[in-house]
Amino acid sequence: MLVEQVARLSNERNGRLAKATGSITNDILDVATLRAFEKVESEDGSDFVIELIDLYLETTPPRIQAIRKAAFEKEWAVLKHIAHTIKGSSSTLGLHRVAQVCQELEATSLSSSDVVGGLVKALESRFVEAREALMAERKRRLQ
Amino acid sequence: MSGFQIRFKEPTPNRVLIADDDPVMTHMLTTILKQQHCQPVVANDGREAYRILQSDSRFKAAILDMSMPFLEGLDIIHYMRSERRLRRIPIMMITAEQNIKLMTDSFSAGATAFLPKPFTPEQLESAVRLLIGSQNRRRAN
Repeated sequence: MLVEQVARLSNERNGRLAKATGSITNDILDVATLRAFEKVESEDGSDFVIELIDLYLETTPPRIQAIRKAAFEKEWAVLKHIAHTIKGSSSTLGLHRVAQVCQELEATSLSSSDVVGGLVKALESRFVEAREALMAERKRRLQ
Repeated sequence: MSGFQIRFKEPTPNRVLIADDDPVMTHMLTTILKQQHCQPVVANDGREAYRILQSDSRFKAAILDMSMPFLEGLDIIHYMRSERRLRRIPIMMITAEQNIKLMTDSFSAGATAFLPKPFTPEQLESAVRLLIGSQNRRRAN
């Protein structure tokens, strides 16, 4: 079945990647996950990883702002949808701490404003950490 | 007889419909698909995908995000499987959801493949190759 073939191929690949990259993983940015996109060729020949970093840093802050607004207005469906979107791109780029707090926002019952407010603050601070890590990686790649 | 020419038919590009509301994901998908000699057509939400599919069925495959504004990925699958002209198009669902039920729901609705986020470029490339191959195999049979 197609899904099984994909899963097998990805497991083989993950095993190879783990051997190759050793322990350059950290909590804020899993560099190995991000650098897996190095092999993708950008259309204009520029660094594809930098393109992804720039796009993520451009599109995520307005989404976080929209989450804060949705929390204030108790628009839970909107909040959960945006958290879900941020989770997808964050986990794909190796930003697991951002993805984790988005997962918590999606999973929480949203009955308590304090809990939601705390999670939104956590998301904001984790994004700041993520931005610093991404900017450091961006700088390294430009050198 | 001097005007006689042999003309070869232009090869049909592997057009692939992408529906995702996240610009990071659409950029990633379009770039990787182009590397695979595919021609991506992007819809930024479910409603846009539906509008495209209403007048265009010339796709070798469709890659749909599960969770999109206006119309969800599952709604698009149901539409594509209810329309004869779209029924042959293999569909891959991508999602950041960790709920196994969504995978079974996708297959029940008619999805051909399911790729959970996060995915690596290799995983996506393999999935696209298999997805497009699945239509070619179906045609050959």
